[in-house]
Amino acid sequence: MIPLSDHDMLAQRNHDEESRQSFVNDFRIHLASNVFPGNFPTYYNRVLPNFIKEKGREPETRHEVRKVMTHDPYYSFWSAMQRNSQEMIWDSVIDSVERQLPELIEKSRKAGDKGSLTLDPDLETPKYHVAADIHLQPGAYHSDQIEDDVAAGAMYDWGTYIYSMGGLGTGNNALGQITNGFFKNEYPDKKPLRILDMGCTIGGSITYWAQQHPDTECYAIDVGAPVLRYGHARAEALGAAVHFSQQNAEHTDFEDESFDIVMSHILLHETSRTAIQNVFDESYRLLKPGGIMMHMDLPQAHGQQPLEGFLFEWEIYNNNEHFFAQLRDMDMAELCRKAGFKDENIHPKSAGSFWMDDQTPYADDGFEFPITIGIK
Amino acid sequence: MSKDDQKKIKLPRTAKGKKPQYFNDPTVDKLLSMVLTLMGELSVTRDRLDTVERLVEKNGLFKIDDIEHYEIPDDVNQIRSERRSAYIARVLKSVQDELDALEQKGDGKNTELAD
Repeated sequence: MIPLSDHDMLAQRNHDEESRQSFVNDFRIHLASNVFPGNFPTYYNRVLPNFIKEKGREPETRHEVRKVMTHDPYYSFWSAMQRNSQEMIWDSVIDSVERQLPELIEKSRKAGDKGSLTLDPDLETPKYHVAADIHLQPGAYHSDQIEDDVAAGAMYDWGTYIYSMGGLGTGNNALGQITNGFFKNEYPDKKPLRILDMGCTIGGSITYWAQQHPDTECYAIDVGAPVLRYGHARAEALGAAVHFSQQNAEHTDFEDESFDIVMSHILLHETSRTAIQNVFDESYRLLKPGGIMMHMDLPQAHGQQPLEGFLFEWEIYNNNEHFFAQLRDMDMAELCRKAGFKDENIHPKSAGSFWMDDQTPYADDGFEFPITIGIK
Repeated sequence: MSKDDQKKIKLPRTAKGKKPQYFNDPTVDKLLSMVLTLMGELSVTRDRLDTVERLVEKNGLFKIDDIEHYEIPDDVNQIRSERRSAYIARVLKSVQDELDALEQKGDGKNTELAD
């Protein structure tokens, strides 16, 4: 595995920790390339004929496919291994973080002041965030295990990189590269003065924006204190000025019409039916007239075949991505309309790895996300 | 317990949230986790041995600390990655076997011998 680019906050791995992470990386690549594709012949040669024999027709929805595929021995075995591989990611990063935690906390306390960090110990962590540990990261993104904890951020940095099998790029910033590339292409004449990234975790995306737009004031919010402490120290270590604050994207303390861009990177599917509308409402409130909302998230169900739709939803049931089940069928344009955006200013677009400046080894396989645009 | 031990931080190791059961007998779920962990640990051991072998060849003699500071050259990284892929495929052969059988035409009987 090609390691992440080093920075001062990155947990250093000893020999066996590096090897364990490389194993998980290679195991997941094997599952994705060699075992997962077997779900297609399994379905067409075994599950589908049985379904037709019993019902006299093909499954009409992904939910019907789920009912039969989850009992298939090949699918079950792949699914169980995939789940294990996700748990093994965290197991492979936790030792190095636990060992170095005192030093990492000390470094974060001494982080620079190009940007800033504002925490709110009274902020209530939303229910959708505490119900289950998102992506199976033990302790999730918001739990402090010790005073001034940064462990969740340090684990997230390595863990998401291994999860993506390198797809997030060695700077762990692919999503920021994609929105930045998308923005430059769609709006070449716009020069944003003040931008906000919602649900930033360790700020991989906004830090990239800050590096690319040194004259732009960059703000980032998240509900999790340990990821923000880490994110701030990480951004400072990379020489980027980002203002991090602990806030819920549903209701922030920023002034009306104070941002040129309000965006998020795969945040929406971690929220809830009520929260997602609040996030769109808040985005509208914060935008200056002419400002641009860009929420990039995972693909929705429409246009997908029943089998494809079913396979796409594995993470919902096996990786604690519960709200994604509902987001799959939601009308994003309607969320925009309710927030106040006019029909002619709502644009469903897509953005993908082809916008990345830094073409990583796996970027050429390509991945693409829908991005919901609203212009105020 | 020494003072240092008391100060040691223990991070949580189990994610909150209902864990799915994949097999009819939950023991199989546990056994699979154990097998996969064994796969990983054997791979780690093989990597460590690889480092030792390369250092022995390079230095003739080495200190244990050398292992911790061994920097993996790109070509070695590539060799290790390919070896790991082959190793994973070997341990998971039972999965591939099922798939291969599914894709094979016929009933699996050797007609030349079955007279």
